Amino acid sequence: MLRIAGLTKAYAGRAALRGVDLEIGPGQIVALLGPNGAGKTTLVSIATGLRRPDAGQVWIDGIDALAHSQRVRPRLGLAPQELGFYPTLRVRDNLAFFGRLAGLSRAALRERTLIVTEALDLTDLMDRYAGDLSGGEKRRLHTSLALLNRPRLLFLDEPTTGADVASRNSILAMVRGLVADGCAVCYCTHYLPEVEALGGSVTILEAGRVIASGGLEDIIAAHGGAGVRFRFDGAPPDLAGWTRDGAYLMTSAADPAVTAARAITCMGTAGDRLLAIDILHPTLETAYLALTGRRGTGHADEEEGEDVAAA
Amino acid sequence: MSLRRSLVIARLNALIIAVDPWPMVTLLAMPLVLMAFLEPVDRSLLAGQGYVGVNGSEVAVPGMAVMFAFFWMMFAGTGFFREHGWGTWDRLRASPARPAEIMVGKCLPILVLMLAQMAVLGAAGALLFGLRVRGSMTALVLLVVVFVGALLALAMALVSVCHTLNQTMVATNLGAIVLSGLGGSFAPVALLPAWARAAAPVSPAYWALRGSKAVILDGGGLAQVALPIAVLCAFAAFGVAVTAARFRFGEVKIADT
Repeated sequence: MLRIAGLTKAYAGRAALRGVDLEIGPGQIVALLGPNGAGKTTLVSIATGLRRPDAGQVWIDGIDALAHSQRVRPRLGLAPQELGFYPTLRVRDNLAFFGRLAGLSRAALRERTLIVTEALDLTDLMDRYAGDLSGGEKRRLHTSLALLNRPRLLFLDEPTTGADVASRNSILAMVRGLVADGCAVCYCTHYLPEVEALGGSVTILEAGRVIASGGLEDIIAAHGGAGVRFRFDGAPPDLAGWTRDGAYLMTSAADPAVTAARAITCMGTAGDRLLAIDILHPTLETAYLALTGRRGTGHADEEEGEDVAAA
Repeated sequence: MSLRRSLVIARLNALIIAVDPWPMVTLLAMPLVLMAFLEPVDRSLLAGQGYVGVNGSEVAVPGMAVMFAFFWMMFAGTGFFREHGWGTWDRLRASPARPAEIMVGKCLPILVLMLAQMAVLGAAGALLFGLRVRGSMTALVLLVVVFVGALLALAMALVSVCHTLNQTMVATNLGAIVLSGLGGSFAPVALLPAWARAAAPVSPAYWALRGSKAVILDGGGLAQVALPIAVLCAFAAFGVAVTAARFRFGEVKIADT
């Protein structure tokens, strides 16, 4: 459904994408992971026709999307990272506008609106002004607008950011349903447990390059060894072979308990500021840690900043 | 180019304006208030110029209608910046709508409202202030349509070159006051200082008011408004050319004031 080859893009001389390849088949979900500035949002922007690459190709449903962006747009759904709807209008009006813009007939609009609002728990909010919704409700409305045209290829860029647990579960259930219906989904996120819950494939970007790509289980098996993670009150100490990330200090280890005990003896007075010790079992997070040297976001209340996408 | 998609976008933009009608009401009410102030002054000025059987509304009504038409340029501009602030601009661009369809859809409601404002102010001028058109109504309508089209094209040119909402608001508000004043909305151009009289033709207001005077006061027809209409068409062409050359759909505009 989506094939990207050799995608390259630079902003003012700073490379955002460096020859990225990506494929997503019908009924397949690919989680696009990577630290802030890795190039995820730039990739989505190019694939959806919002930006032009410096080099590379994008095919959607066999059509050259860079040369014929107008032809592929009816097949696409996009929920960008930034919330996008008309806050001074009612939920109903927002849905009607984007449905009509997608070319839905009156009957089709009614049917799709019903399906989408039920899937994302918006049915009772139809007459509310969009600007008055809670954060999670706004995120669900934002996502729903990308689904009205029954897209064959859906881009969700951090779709659960700021969403509460109920909203998050609604969105994840909706994504599962779409994939089961044959929709190809490109799912950008920092929340690694979501990716594990959704299954599918994983592509990890770093500094504009694909550093790992494959099935979720394969990625974990290949890179997700056990490890140890310390959390400190303040900056962690500098230990050889360990990676520092904010208040965290972490490393991969075949024998995490022994490694943790040895590290504590080397911390000196920094050990007084040690708040938590986590033994990491092989998961996507440990794989991500091994590949990028950074922590993923494992909890709903831990939010990451925006991906870099300079104008 | 799909007219249907343009109309869908136009309908949405009309709805956005309708849910917050107070700015629109202000643009209708304020010129009527100012007309009441200016009518006696203009009556004296016209009498001094030798006009008989006039009541001042022949100058006051078109003067204020022209001035407040300029303020719609701000609405036309903010309509684009608001899409960026609301995060909907990228959604529009990623939709099946083509750039030209988005432009038409966003401009159409403003064009209709500008024309409606002109019609309402003209009708109110007739009912409240006894405005009477001595010349060709066809010529007057044509003049108004071309003037409004020129302002809208210039508004799009401003949106094209401005990067922030603040820049657009300052440019449109100052432009409205300076250009309408220069064109004769407050006082006849003949009474302005020499430098202002020399600069007056750079304002679309000057040509609109020159044409309206020829029709309303002097009983003129199409021949008498041909030159003002031609110049206003040139303003419109300039606005369209700048928009075509400078408008970037992918540009990130700053909507925060």
